[in-house]
Amino acid sequence: MLVATVSNVFQYAADSVYYGSFFALISLSLSLLFGVMGLMNFAYGELIMAGAYVMFYTRSWGWLAMVVMVILIVTVLSLLMELLAFRPLRHAEPVVLLITSFAVSYGLEAAGWMTVGTGIQKGVQPYPWLTSQFDIGGVLISKLEVMTWIVTILLLVGMTLLIRRTSLGIQLRASTEDFRMAQLVGVRANWVISAAFGITGLLASAVAILFTFRQGAVAPDVGQGPLLIAFVGGVIGGLGSLAGAALGGFAVGVVLNLLQATLPLSINNHFQLFAFAAVIAILVFQPDGLIAIRAGLVRTWWRRLRGSPAVGTPA
Amino acid sequence: MQPWARALWPPLAMGVLLVVTWALVDAYGGVIYKGYAVRMFLNLLVVLALQIFSGNSGVLSFGHATFIAMGAYLSALLTIPPEQKTFQFLTMPHWLSSWIFPANLSALEGVLAGAGLAAVVAALLAPPVIRLAGVQAGIATLAILVMDNVFNTQTTSITRGTSTLIGVPQTTTFVSLLIWALIVIAIAYVFKQSRFGLRLRASRENIRAARSVGVHVARERAIAWILSGLVAGAAGALYGHWFVTFSPGDFYINTNGIDLVILPIAMLVIGGMRSVTGAVVGCYFVTIVYTFFNRWEVDGFNGTVSTAPSGTANLVLAATLLVVLILQPRGLSRGKELPWPSEWRLPSVGGIRSRLPSKAAR
Repeated sequence: MLVATVSNVFQYAADSVYYGSFFALISLSLSLLFGVMGLMNFAYGELIMAGAYVMFYTRSWGWLAMVVMVILIVTVLSLLMELLAFRPLRHAEPVVLLITSFAVSYGLEAAGWMTVGTGIQKGVQPYPWLTSQFDIGGVLISKLEVMTWIVTILLLVGMTLLIRRTSLGIQLRASTEDFRMAQLVGVRANWVISAAFGITGLLASAVAILFTFRQGAVAPDVGQGPLLIAFVGGVIGGLGSLAGAALGGFAVGVVLNLLQATLPLSINNHFQLFAFAAVIAILVFQPDGLIAIRAGLVRTWWRRLRGSPAVGTPA
Repeated sequence: MQPWARALWPPLAMGVLLVVTWALVDAYGGVIYKGYAVRMFLNLLVVLALQIFSGNSGVLSFGHATFIAMGAYLSALLTIPPEQKTFQFLTMPHWLSSWIFPANLSALEGVLAGAGLAAVVAALLAPPVIRLAGVQAGIATLAILVMDNVFNTQTTSITRGTSTLIGVPQTTTFVSLLIWALIVIAIAYVFKQSRFGLRLRASRENIRAARSVGVHVARERAIAWILSGLVAGAAGALYGHWFVTFSPGDFYINTNGIDLVILPIAMLVIGGMRSVTGAVVGCYFVTIVYTFFNRWEVDGFNGTVSTAPSGTANLVLAATLLVVLILQPRGLSRGKELPWPSEWRLPSVGGIRSRLPSKAAR
């Protein structure tokens, strides 16, 4: 049970930040595709699964080769997904894309059970140097946690730079804002969407590596659990905006970890009930502010500006 | 031709198809194919429940397994023999056990009670769902599904948590499923043609135009949602009384063979969700494809060929859904009811003629 000593508080804070960063990464990748093409991609869990299995099969190759292989295979899988399943349905409604992503997820999971998932339970031993812990005044922090923070921050900074400073970023933002208009002014749809899937693959490989080192066990349905939590975070933060989604994922991760530490087990087990009820409430009461399909921050801001009497206050 | 005969033709034809299927499988199917047919009828009930709401409103629901679970659990709780309940549910709170333990309902009463609870739950969930459409509705109903799964797995005192519920009386028979399927086809078709169904379909085609002629979209959606929940609840109760044991995983996304979340949606989308014909056609088509590959992976058609790896049927199902979504997004029935026999046309090459209104439609 919780004892509120100073070191305990810092311990929970450190663990919570670790959880939060992890879910922020997933929410961020979900929001990228949601923004560009209105796709809530449930097949993302299977990208994590693919990464986990690549790690299992390359576990004796040394960490560098392993990381390279994971990035390579997961990114290629993500691009293939786009090419084979989502490209032919480019002009379909978002809800059709949602069904498609379920079909892809279902098929990949079945393929996972058929091929790599058979036989005994598989697992990846984290490297000893990864699980070793620092002891800072009674607060235990493993190197894996530190690595998760660093990777998350690097990827967030990288994504921000990419989105703000590069031509691809401008095209991505334009497509998020209004896909058809972006095409009319010369953004190549195939290129932007492939790029979005490629970036998703990169982020998924980072998530897969961090997750598998923490989790150890590998199974065809490993991706489902973290995906659902990150998805709650994404919706709460606003899947339409990258920063919003990442923040939402972070917040949900932190809250989830804190509640796990503080609430009695009987209430804690039902906590997800409230999390998902919150998702529904947000979808009903704040669909524009928190879920903005193909409507970027600017439009929301402009609408608020016009709607509110206090002109000039940033929304 | 009499207009009433024309109006009754699609459900009658579907009914005849079901009766013929039942008669053939019952006579020649043996225990294995009877098992597949029973699952098909159970799935058909769920698909029709989905069609009532999603087909008419155009709002997709991933959350119907909630109602199936509600129906299955309540009906099981009320029909398991009282002496078994006392040792299966040791921690059930008194306010529930005081009336659940002595209850010893008949099969039909159990199914109706399960359907009733599902309808009540649907009514409670209606306010948010009817306000959403498109991908938001998909996400919200998915959230409902997850909430239901959390409830089923964590409320150990009522549902036995992740443990399997046992001792449910085996009262569902192949014939009773046939009768329920016929009733539900009639309900779905009558609802679609009724003023409620018509108003709801109008809102699906153009929500603003429908509102402008006085359709209260939220109310119409709520009616369909509750009716749909009722039917799904009955299906769940029948499911419990056929398989005798079940656990929360049965009502959640799974790949162990009988999936009540993705499979019915796949059936409905493949068949074409806008028509009752589509629901039936999709259910038959998916069942036939799935059964074929499932037999292949189980015993290679009685050892005729070497077995396919386990999971092939699920993979083929996903691929089929994908191909249908790409090639024929409105489904195999193209969202139309079965036409009167004299209006049957071969699909024309290029598809131009089939898009022109036929003489009868004009």
